[in-house]
Amino acid sequence: MTTLDAAAASSATPSATTPVAPAPARRRRRSVEGRPRIAVAFTALFFVVLYLPIVVVVLFSFNSRKSLSSFESFSTRWYVQFFNDDALLSSLRASLVISGVAMVGSLILGTMLALALERVSSRPSRILGTTALVPLVTPEIVTGVAALLLFTGLGIKLSLMTVIIAEITFSISYVAVIVRGRLSAMSDDVEEAARDLGCTPFQAVRLVILPAILPALVASGLLVFALVFDDFVLAFFTTGVDPQPLPVRIYSQIRLSISPAINAVGTCMMLVSILLIAFSLVVPRLFGRRDSGLDLISGG
Amino acid sequence: MTLPTSGPALDRRDFLRGALGLGALAALAGCGFSGGDATASASASGASASLAPAAKATIDGDLVYFNWAEYLDPDVLKGFQKEYGVKIIETNYDSYPSMMAKLSSGNEYDVVFPGSKEVAQLRAASKLQRIDKAQLKNADQVFGVNPYFDDPWYDSKSDYSVPFTMYKTGIAYRKDKVTTMSGSWNDMWNTSASGHIFVLDEADEAIGMAALKLGLDINTISPDDLAKIKEALLAQKPLLRGYSTDDINNMAGGNAWIHHMWSGDFLNLVNNTVKDPGNYEFLAPKEGTPLGSDTYAIPANAAHPGTALVFIDYLLRPENIDKNVTYLGYPMPTKSSAAAFAKVSEGHPACTVTVEDLGRANVFKTQTPEGKAARDAMWTEVKAS
Amino acid sequence: MAASTRDTDVEPTRTRRSASHTRLWGWLLLPPAAWMMAFFVSSIIIVVLLSFGHVGPTGRPVFGASGANYAALWNETYLSVFLRSVVYASLTVLLCLLIGYPVAYTIALHGGRYKNALVAALVIPFFASYLIRMYAWSTLLSDEGLVNQALRWFGLSEGVRFLNTPGAVVAGLTYGFVIFMVLPVYASLERMDLALIEAGKDLYHGPLRTFFAVTLPATRAGVLGGVLLVLLPALGDFVSAQLLGGPSTFMIGNLIQQQFFESQNQPLGSALTVVLMIALLVFMVFYLRSTDRQRRES
Repeated sequence: MTTLDAAAASSATPSATTPVAPAPARRRRRSVEGRPRIAVAFTALFFVVLYLPIVVVVLFSFNSRKSLSSFESFSTRWYVQFFNDDALLSSLRASLVISGVAMVGSLILGTMLALALERVSSRPSRILGTTALVPLVTPEIVTGVAALLLFTGLGIKLSLMTVIIAEITFSISYVAVIVRGRLSAMSDDVEEAARDLGCTPFQAVRLVILPAILPALVASGLLVFALVFDDFVLAFFTTGVDPQPLPVRIYSQIRLSISPAINAVGTCMMLVSILLIAFSLVVPRLFGRRDSGLDLISGG
Repeated sequence: MTLPTSGPALDRRDFLRGALGLGALAALAGCGFSGGDATASASASGASASLAPAAKATIDGDLVYFNWAEYLDPDVLKGFQKEYGVKIIETNYDSYPSMMAKLSSGNEYDVVFPGSKEVAQLRAASKLQRIDKAQLKNADQVFGVNPYFDDPWYDSKSDYSVPFTMYKTGIAYRKDKVTTMSGSWNDMWNTSASGHIFVLDEADEAIGMAALKLGLDINTISPDDLAKIKEALLAQKPLLRGYSTDDINNMAGGNAWIHHMWSGDFLNLVNNTVKDPGNYEFLAPKEGTPLGSDTYAIPANAAHPGTALVFIDYLLRPENIDKNVTYLGYPMPTKSSAAAFAKVSEGHPACTVTVEDLGRANVFKTQTPEGKAARDAMWTEVKAS
Repeated sequence: MAASTRDTDVEPTRTRRSASHTRLWGWLLLPPAAWMMAFFVSSIIIVVLLSFGHVGPTGRPVFGASGANYAALWNETYLSVFLRSVVYASLTVLLCLLIGYPVAYTIALHGGRYKNALVAALVIPFFASYLIRMYAWSTLLSDEGLVNQALRWFGLSEGVRFLNTPGAVVAGLTYGFVIFMVLPVYASLERMDLALIEAGKDLYHGPLRTFFAVTLPATRAGVLGGVLLVLLPALGDFVSAQLLGGPSTFMIGNLIQQQFFESQNQPLGSALTVVLMIALLVFMVFYLRSTDRQRRES
């Protein structure tokens, strides 16, 4: 099983077969030309700008005044306020529930879609499958408006459930595209071989395909979780009476007057995300793979 | 143009007719919609049940709370949850129109905080529950104090709402940056602050500002008046930095020298936000200012009207009124909160709103659907151009 | 994330499969297809239908068959908003490409063993909430914010008005969505055979000419994917214009939001949404054509 597995993995990602050792040599040769120095400086500058607002968020989360433009002195009052703010905490919980459920739902449906699209060649099913990828190229505001009209038109009460449905609809295509990329890189001879050796179709899926696409599942799951957790537009249009998702609460505060407790929230969220990403880097290695979830997020 | 009405925003019969028009869609409608129908009929029966006599003030579940963000002292909310052992499920709106949109889409909230104009609309559309004053132990804090609120224009006999705060919309400015203020709405067109002026991003407020400058009715729907107002707003655009309701941070961040601002936000700015409050001043222009009041109300389809009544009663306790007045910076028309407001508004008499002021004309009122549509369309065009 | 451009046709193997096998996969298609029909396709149909409707006397949207909403959009104001949105979104795409490509290139080719860490570093700010980051920019760039304080402290300037300008809106969009350009370009560079570049150097003399003759064409799929992934959210965004924009930076997203939540004119909002969809459809056709051409060429 493990050999099959490894074969699938190595045929899937050229980067995994590339030896690691030559990289430094290549780098040295390039840097002689002098060009990379500008490129490296540019990239460094890019990262500085990328992190500038992050620094502000972290810094002002420790401000003792309500002001967001002048720093007075160090204080943890906004963290205290955040952890005592039931509304904010319930929003955080709502967002975690939405992202979690949407992740699981879109992983199941998206993987089914990817498998079917990759293995079925009949024309109607291909058309159906392509339709399912349309959300990927639809701006969120369109999806949001459409979902709102659908739900209110049918008299469905807006709630966490409607947000979750809208987010799953939006995320299925992300999962499908990533998983399909992995599947198409995988030779289906392996699967045929498994069938020839007497596997039932179900066993073939469980023993051959699922292990091979596991990194893609981890990657797309994380991606969907992150996208949904941060999604404001869809949630804004479809949220109802339940505790509102975090981005929607942040938005309604921004429109009036934002509390620095929001910066404390942002800082905490980032800490968690660093842990999550470290996790995604480590998990594939636990399964004995070179490539990490990040390679897959970036499509590599 | 949209008076909120009972039932879902889209008429289901219209909807089905449209759907059936597309033959291909019919089968789809059948499968996807059955669940929705069940929910809809359930909520409809809930609505008819709530037409029964006004609720009793007994806890009947958690409180689904729908308000502006941070528009009550968090300590007061905490105290309620602790004392009665219920949870407050908080949802926020960022403008009254969006509150109305959410309410008319059938969402069930237990307590909302509509402005007077919205109360009139909601009451006319039978979207509010009658509030039995006998259920409120602290009713005497707010009723029988001012004749105005015992029978306000927006809610005859205050049958469906309980008065909350009173506000005023005026002009805040930086004394260290602008020295040429005339005390009139013309100051919002002050060229010496060009590029540093903000107008509140709300149709009524922006139209009201221009109307008062031009000597027109703030509720005007006459095409001639609206054309003049549009002209004035467009002439103002080159001087503006933006349209925004984030007035506190626009002032504190230094982008705004002159800001169309709500009185309570100004007090929050000088009391809690900036280091140099002496540099900021609030003026109530001499042409008059839009004035208004907010209320507590219970939607007709509330699932826990009993808890909502207990909550309103709790908010009417004198000590909680004082806390909220201090936190919000808005005066309340109650028996004993004057001292708390005097303290929080010290040095800024222009932020005071009295019940006598409310009796005068500059209160936003409900327009006809066509009138509202005309005002909205004009405002959209001003912002979009 | 950008694997949509990947060539997935492996026709020859498909013919070998047994019919029962294919049927099994066919059944798998059912649940996701049904879901998308129920919640996506039907909702889009409602938007299209409602765009021909009007607001009824009671304020409810009513279906109809009139083009009045589209006629109402055909005026100078709405057209200028639309044009403005297209200009902002195009500038955003261009900036994302000019900034994102070199960054992806540097990480992919010179990242060495820090490659994974650098990609992780790209993704992390993404988690600090788009809204919070946008708001942080608005405080940073405000007239008395940290950037202007720094400029004054160094004696460089008496203060620059960054905020509430069209430039700030485009910068905000670029900041928000540049990652969608970097990742697919990075992926396509990773997939590229590095020997090609080496060969190109011998052939074309000079790194710049090699870049334009070899590297750029080889990563075209990634670039096109990135363009799409940036253009879509940029065209529909209403947050950047609201937080960083000024009095004249209203975008189509703001207009749609206004119709739905402020004016409550859902039919007009639907018509705006349909126009936005059509514009993107035109772009998609162009996009698919060019990826098709690329596939045929290779």
